[in-house]
Amino acid sequence: MAFSLSSIPKRIHKTFANLRTGIVLLILVVIASAMGTFVLQRPATDADRLAQAYSPNTLRWLDRFMLTDVFHSWWFLTLLGLVSLSIVLVSLDRFPNAWRFYARPYRKTDWHFRAALPHKVELPIKNAEDGLNAAERALKKLGWPVERVAYKNEPSLYSERHRFSVMAVYIVHASLLLIFAGGIIDGAFGYSGFLALHKGQTGNVIELRSGGKKQLPFAVKCYAAGQDNYADGSPKKWWSKLAVVQDGKEIESKEIVVNDPLVYRGLRFYQSSYWLDNHTVDSLQIAWVAKNGKETPLQLHMNQPVALDSDATVSLVDYIPDAFVRDGQVFKKSDDIENLAFGLEVKNRATAEVSKVWLLPAQGIVLGGENLNYQFKNPTGAQDIALAAVTGLEVSHEPGQWLVWGGVLLMCAGLGVAFYMVHMRLWIVAIPDAKGKLVLWVGGQANKNRDRFEQKFNDVVEGIRSELERESLTSRPARKEQPELTLAGVK
Amino acid sequence: MATRARVVRMEPPAATGGNALLVLVGLSVVFLLIVALLGVAKSGGSLISESNFLYVALIFYAGAGSLYMGFGVTGTPRYVRYASVATSIGLVANTLAVAHRWYLSGRPPFASIYEMLLSFVWAVAAMTLIAEKKFGVKIIGSITMPLAVVCVILMQLLPSEVRPLVPALQSTWLHVHVTLAMLSYAACALSCALAMMFLIQDGFQTETFLAWTSAMVSAIYIAIVATRFEKWGGLSVTGWNAQTKSDIFLGQGMRLFVTVPDLGWLFVIAALAAIVPLLLYFAGRVRNDGSFYGTANKAVFISILLQLVVVAAFVLRVRDAAYPSPDQDGLFPTSLAASPFLLGGMVTGIFASLLYLMLLWRRADLQGLLPSADTLDRVTYKTIGIAFPLLTGMIAAGAYWANRTWGSYWSWDPKETWAAITWLVYAGYLHMRITRGWRGRRAAYFAILGFGVVIFTFLGVTYLLPGLHAYA
Repeated sequence: MAFSLSSIPKRIHKTFANLRTGIVLLILVVIASAMGTFVLQRPATDADRLAQAYSPNTLRWLDRFMLTDVFHSWWFLTLLGLVSLSIVLVSLDRFPNAWRFYARPYRKTDWHFRAALPHKVELPIKNAEDGLNAAERALKKLGWPVERVAYKNEPSLYSERHRFSVMAVYIVHASLLLIFAGGIIDGAFGYSGFLALHKGQTGNVIELRSGGKKQLPFAVKCYAAGQDNYADGSPKKWWSKLAVVQDGKEIESKEIVVNDPLVYRGLRFYQSSYWLDNHTVDSLQIAWVAKNGKETPLQLHMNQPVALDSDATVSLVDYIPDAFVRDGQVFKKSDDIENLAFGLEVKNRATAEVSKVWLLPAQGIVLGGENLNYQFKNPTGAQDIALAAVTGLEVSHEPGQWLVWGGVLLMCAGLGVAFYMVHMRLWIVAIPDAKGKLVLWVGGQANKNRDRFEQKFNDVVEGIRSELERESLTSRPARKEQPELTLAGVK
Repeated sequence: MATRARVVRMEPPAATGGNALLVLVGLSVVFLLIVALLGVAKSGGSLISESNFLYVALIFYAGAGSLYMGFGVTGTPRYVRYASVATSIGLVANTLAVAHRWYLSGRPPFASIYEMLLSFVWAVAAMTLIAEKKFGVKIIGSITMPLAVVCVILMQLLPSEVRPLVPALQSTWLHVHVTLAMLSYAACALSCALAMMFLIQDGFQTETFLAWTSAMVSAIYIAIVATRFEKWGGLSVTGWNAQTKSDIFLGQGMRLFVTVPDLGWLFVIAALAAIVPLLLYFAGRVRNDGSFYGTANKAVFISILLQLVVVAAFVLRVRDAAYPSPDQDGLFPTSLAASPFLLGGMVTGIFASLLYLMLLWRRADLQGLLPSADTLDRVTYKTIGIAFPLLTGMIAAGAYWANRTWGSYWSWDPKETWAAITWLVYAGYLHMRITRGWRGRRAAYFAILGFGVVIFTFLGVTYLLPGLHAYA
């Protein structure tokens, strides 16, 4: 057993073509995956949480062995690669035999083959040809295909069903490789990221999950987004009206909801989150009062001037979620929604003079604009203030996913065949039995579900028996008088 | 072995005695039903409600479980007849509970861990009856019915109000995914029960199992005592911050521990009680004296009772209480959620010990009542042959659904990962069986292990390993 360089590939082949190696690899995958669920994982858990949960020293070691990101570590991917290699090599090793078996089914009925069959019955017959004919009729009646085989001058019948089931196991393993291939393609060429759009906003730069940004060759516009609630106030539906815009033209539009993404050129846009932007007001419903005391309702959108009368326009220019007033000035206190403040600008068309007016509904005061001809009223409640809706879109490009789905379908089909399709074979031959009397020997075999097959085998034997009985009832006297019968026919 | 065989022969023929249990169970069922009825009448609530149906199901499942176990112990065939009647009534009540909930919410009960358990229990009871009627595995209810009872009791601790579906769950794939999951889990439960029947029938050495079980239980309790026993008999557990729903941290990687007074002693006693059977086993081996094993079996029984007491005390004292900490002044709240591994270890210990007790039933007359070991082995394999494609379909449907909801068909979420691990374990079983010819005992152990992983995926992951799959 000299060790030479040329034997290394052979050794590798021998190692990985071994089912035991495959099982060991599977156990390693199981252990690694379990560790990946017990140790907090990097991309999903933020750095603060990790630093809190583990001491710096522990964390350093965990990071060194990439245990904080098991599923993207080189060693886990290597492990999966080795599993694939093992599947390929084991299958390649076993496939030729299986293929031979599949392509050239064993139709012969040697005595030692007959002796080894688990199910066999001998039925006495008078004549080989009639016996086989009866068996053929019985099988056809039961829906079995029949083949005549002549071997060593012993005429025999061969019948089988679902031969394809012996190939199922290769289909299942191939489908697993297909799924892996899809995953590899997605890992190499796919990406996923996030795109947040305000109502009315158009965006084409996504923040990648892996860090960094990516510019898309087209843009997505959000026409509207919102949340519908159940009667008890819990969210029922998040939706966004999206459109794909390319070169200034709108190409496609769709209202997406949580389970129904927009798909365009291999990119999928999912409704992932929805929130109200504390910093942006979408619309404000107030009222203004003219000098003559006439009150007119007024709806304002950010930075969109609205004509009050022929002399002046008003626009909403400022919004502070949490404001306080000092010396007649409005300042921002925090980003939480506490004491709202809305800044309006009233512009005189003739003089272009601009006056600032602050509405502070929480305190019920209106600051500034005392000398104007227009008085503004505070919004009366929360229903008058609409914060800007922001839709959070998960964007992903998974070019390998069709391989994955193909693999999944193939695997389901393969498993169905592997578990529920039974390869059943029957051999029928007319031979002399131990005492030298002519018998119809019926043998059968199934590759799984033996008890069900036993039933089927018994059905077949019963069928042949009754067919033989009928023949002996009708044709035995007929055979004896066959020439006479023919003569009678001629007569 | 010789002593046991003699005991069996000395017992009266099974068919004559054994009305006592039947009367006892019957009376308990009637009593509990009347108490429940009075309760409903007093509160003036509707008789037709999901919780009432579920309660009736619980009573009958518990009755059926006792009768099945009684059958296991005494071998009275009449028990099984009544047990399967009780299971059928329980199943009807369970079906009504499911139907009532379905009717009220307008959707199948698949949306929370409570609803999942409701469906799971239903599937387990249905499959028990199928296994009994179709495969003639009469005693299987002695394993599946206690499982059903534990699940129904667990359901009482969970929020049960009918909630509208959150947006992510509004998908046809919910029904596909969950139906497949429940069916495959129930099939896995059945295969585990069948594998245990096989072990009973196969006539293996219970002593080895005794050694392993008590070694494991001892290891669990010694580990807990070694790491958590505090001065003056306290037990330290992690403090719990209810707002952030996480452990309380003092610094990087340093959790705040609080001391539950006196609980430590209980764990010491439980550890000692768990070691006793192990010592008796070794004594029996060294002296080559079988009588030690009989004493060891009694010691296992005591150990189980103590373990139950310990778990009950632990749950009562740690659940939503507050205790002082040796590291910082003041009282700090505790929660069961802060000690998942302690709880997990204790529950594992109880299950392993109960498993052993069940295996002790192996007796000549019982073996006559069960199908042959060969049949049980084959049926176990067949059940896994049903469970595995269902499991595959469940994962595939989940992946497809995730691709429509989360934006990725596979994100290594703990639930996904553990589903994959379950799949790999059963794939391992199939490979060992088909290519290596693993039959009988090794295959049975494998099937039991597989169901352990299923239970962890189903319940353990939900409570121990939070992730995207937060619904159940």
